[in-house]
Amino acid sequence: MERTLASAPVIEFRDVAYVLPNGKPLLSELNLKVQRGETLVLLGRSGSGKTTTLKLINRLLAPSGGEVLVNGASTVVTDVIRLRRSIGYVIQDVGLFPHFNVERNIGLVPRIEGWEAERIHNRVEELLQLVGLEAKIAERYPHQLSGGQRQRVGVARALAADPAILLMDEPFGALDALTRDELQREFLSLKQRLNKTVVFVTHDLREALRLASRIALMDAGRLITVLPPEEFVRSGDPLVAAYVRSFADGCDLVANRGAS
Amino acid sequence: MIRERQRYRRVPDAKLLICISCLIFALIFASCTPSHANRIVVGSKNFTESLMLGEILAQEIEARTHLKVERRFYLAGTYICQQAILAGRIDLYPEYTGTALTAILKQPIGVEKNDIYQRVKHEYETRLALTLGPPLGFNNTFAMEIRGDDARRLNLKTLSQASAYAPHWRAGFGYEFMERPDGYKGLAAAYGLHFAAPPRIMDLGLLAPALKDRQIDIAAGNATDGLIAAFDLFVLEDDRHYFPPYEAVAVVRQQTLKQHPEVAAALAALAGKISDQEMQRLNYALDGQHRDPKDVAHQFLLSKGLLP
Amino acid sequence: MNLYHFFVENHEQVVELSLEHLWLVGISTLIAVLIGIPLGILSARRPVWNRPVLGTANIIQTIPSLALFGFLLPVPWIGERADRLAILALTLYALLPVIRNTYTGIRSVDPAVIEAGRGMGLTGRQLLLQVELPLALSVILSGIRVAVVISVGLATIAAAIGAGGLGEFIFRGLAMVNNQLILAGAIPAAVLALTADFGLGWLEKRLRPR
Repeated sequence: MERTLASAPVIEFRDVAYVLPNGKPLLSELNLKVQRGETLVLLGRSGSGKTTTLKLINRLLAPSGGEVLVNGASTVVTDVIRLRRSIGYVIQDVGLFPHFNVERNIGLVPRIEGWEAERIHNRVEELLQLVGLEAKIAERYPHQLSGGQRQRVGVARALAADPAILLMDEPFGALDALTRDELQREFLSLKQRLNKTVVFVTHDLREALRLASRIALMDAGRLITVLPPEEFVRSGDPLVAAYVRSFADGCDLVANRGAS
Repeated sequence: MIRERQRYRRVPDAKLLICISCLIFALIFASCTPSHANRIVVGSKNFTESLMLGEILAQEIEARTHLKVERRFYLAGTYICQQAILAGRIDLYPEYTGTALTAILKQPIGVEKNDIYQRVKHEYETRLALTLGPPLGFNNTFAMEIRGDDARRLNLKTLSQASAYAPHWRAGFGYEFMERPDGYKGLAAAYGLHFAAPPRIMDLGLLAPALKDRQIDIAAGNATDGLIAAFDLFVLEDDRHYFPPYEAVAVVRQQTLKQHPEVAAALAALAGKISDQEMQRLNYALDGQHRDPKDVAHQFLLSKGLLP
Repeated sequence: MNLYHFFVENHEQVVELSLEHLWLVGISTLIAVLIGIPLGILSARRPVWNRPVLGTANIIQTIPSLALFGFLLPVPWIGERADRLAILALTLYALLPVIRNTYTGIRSVDPAVIEAGRGMGLTGRQLLLQVELPLALSVILSGIRVAVVISVGLATIAAAIGAGGLGEFIFRGLAMVNNQLILAGAIPAAVLALTADFGLGWLEKRLRPR
């Protein structure tokens, strides 16, 4: 009984299809289960449908066919606002509110959820520390921050109301290699401290291998395969192999994965 | 410290916006009730006679009451004056009964001047919260003018007599006379006037000189034109009573009379005090002799013993 | 009498006409803002409304002001009182800048900000009030500024139909060929327009998102 409960997927795609209003299909026959506490990386080239898949989870998009279930409930049935507030969302451009300082950015959802000022303030301090920022950053405005600092604030904002699920759409894509590396390392340490279910979109195999508990490869709107990183690099599937090959140092990746 | 300065930044924006909005609202609502506490505002239209009457009314009120009088003259026409008095921007202005009946009340005109005066007064009092002062004494109706020597030579006194000569004459009219229903069309029908050529249309101020210089032979001017005597022009009698009466009166707001009853006394003092000829002379003093309206009005009131 | 003495002697009338002018401009701008901002938000959110709303406002703008005053004269209730007519006409002319700038202001908000906001679970109303409008405020204010400056100018013409205001000085001065009277109307009107432009411009700068 407990085993069944424990293995109930947090997020589930059942035969999901998504078609644009003009008729062009972006996703078809998508079946996927995301387990509690795992970090599932959606990997693929641009146009493979990975961002579309992500947006179906917090109902920024609604499926044209099939069902998307979050905690057992279909996304089109549950209250969309409650759904989104229970899911953290981090995007590549961060999207910090330019007219709010860091504290108000992070504290926005808690504020509209009705938390007291004291509690919000403490939470902000806690989160800033968690993402590796100094407390005095709270007073600054987004335009005064560096790219790396901004994305850290973005992650802190997504974690503010302590959601169980975190969606991340190429969050480190716009940063320079050094900062990206730093943030990936911090993500891994965060993953250990917090027990969140994360769905992470990227086109970078190295990033996927580094961060994922499982990698889901997508191509042309279809799910090709879902494998843990070690099996992924050794997979015989032609598409997977092609992907691995295109990252020249594919074989070394497995060996280097431990170094974090 | 940096912390203090940056925290300071956000709060004033919302408060600033509210403060400024309140200021603007306050300003708007302060201006929406233009009240003149102890001031009377006298308006006038933008021609000499109206200006003259306005100045006379103003000075009489100043002399008889302790009220300060402000002048808002040269308002561009009947409609403008009407709007101003309805909105309370002016308290009174000189008008003509015939104009009030046709242009403002949009009713058909008659010929009996007392009847028209009463009708206008009644409508104004019941519908518009305005009233009329007593008639000032002259009737500025349309005047068909011919040269003095023509009148004497042909022994003409009335329009009926003159209509016999119409086919040999050139006529000159102002724009309004041509357009108004109580203008040329009706006149031609009433007197059987047939001119050889279509009437020349020109500015009112040019009619008298054109008549004098023989460019036209008959003109439609006003009965109180200043240049009638000066240019030796003759006004033909309207024996068939075609032209409606245009008695000069003061139009006043009822509210003004209620707040300042002494104004009514000033208006009553002027009742019937200006005859047709006297108005002609006053107009000439301004148009012909270019004297200062204030001086002319003062002298007139003095001569009539109207300055207590 | 030089111009300075003229102003001193007739300062009551100048103040009175200035307040009349301010009333015309203030009320019409207020109504235009109350109507225009919601319409701007509507056309920003539902692109299908964009063309009819902006198109109509555009058409109104191209009608010459004096002609519009003339059209409205025979209309019952509106045409009976010159100030109602003037306020209606001024409101119509103020609509386009307000609507257009509201539309532009909201559309120019960074789409990433909107996406993050929606993804976080902000309702449409919360997004509008807490994010879009505050960010668009500077641009909207710029539209209001344009509307006010236009209105100050148009209100001077409104005196031609009897609405009062500083234009009355100008028209009277023209009829009397009296330069002092003309300037007594023109100068305060210009000062009013410049003050509004400057004041609102300063506010705009203050509210611009960094």
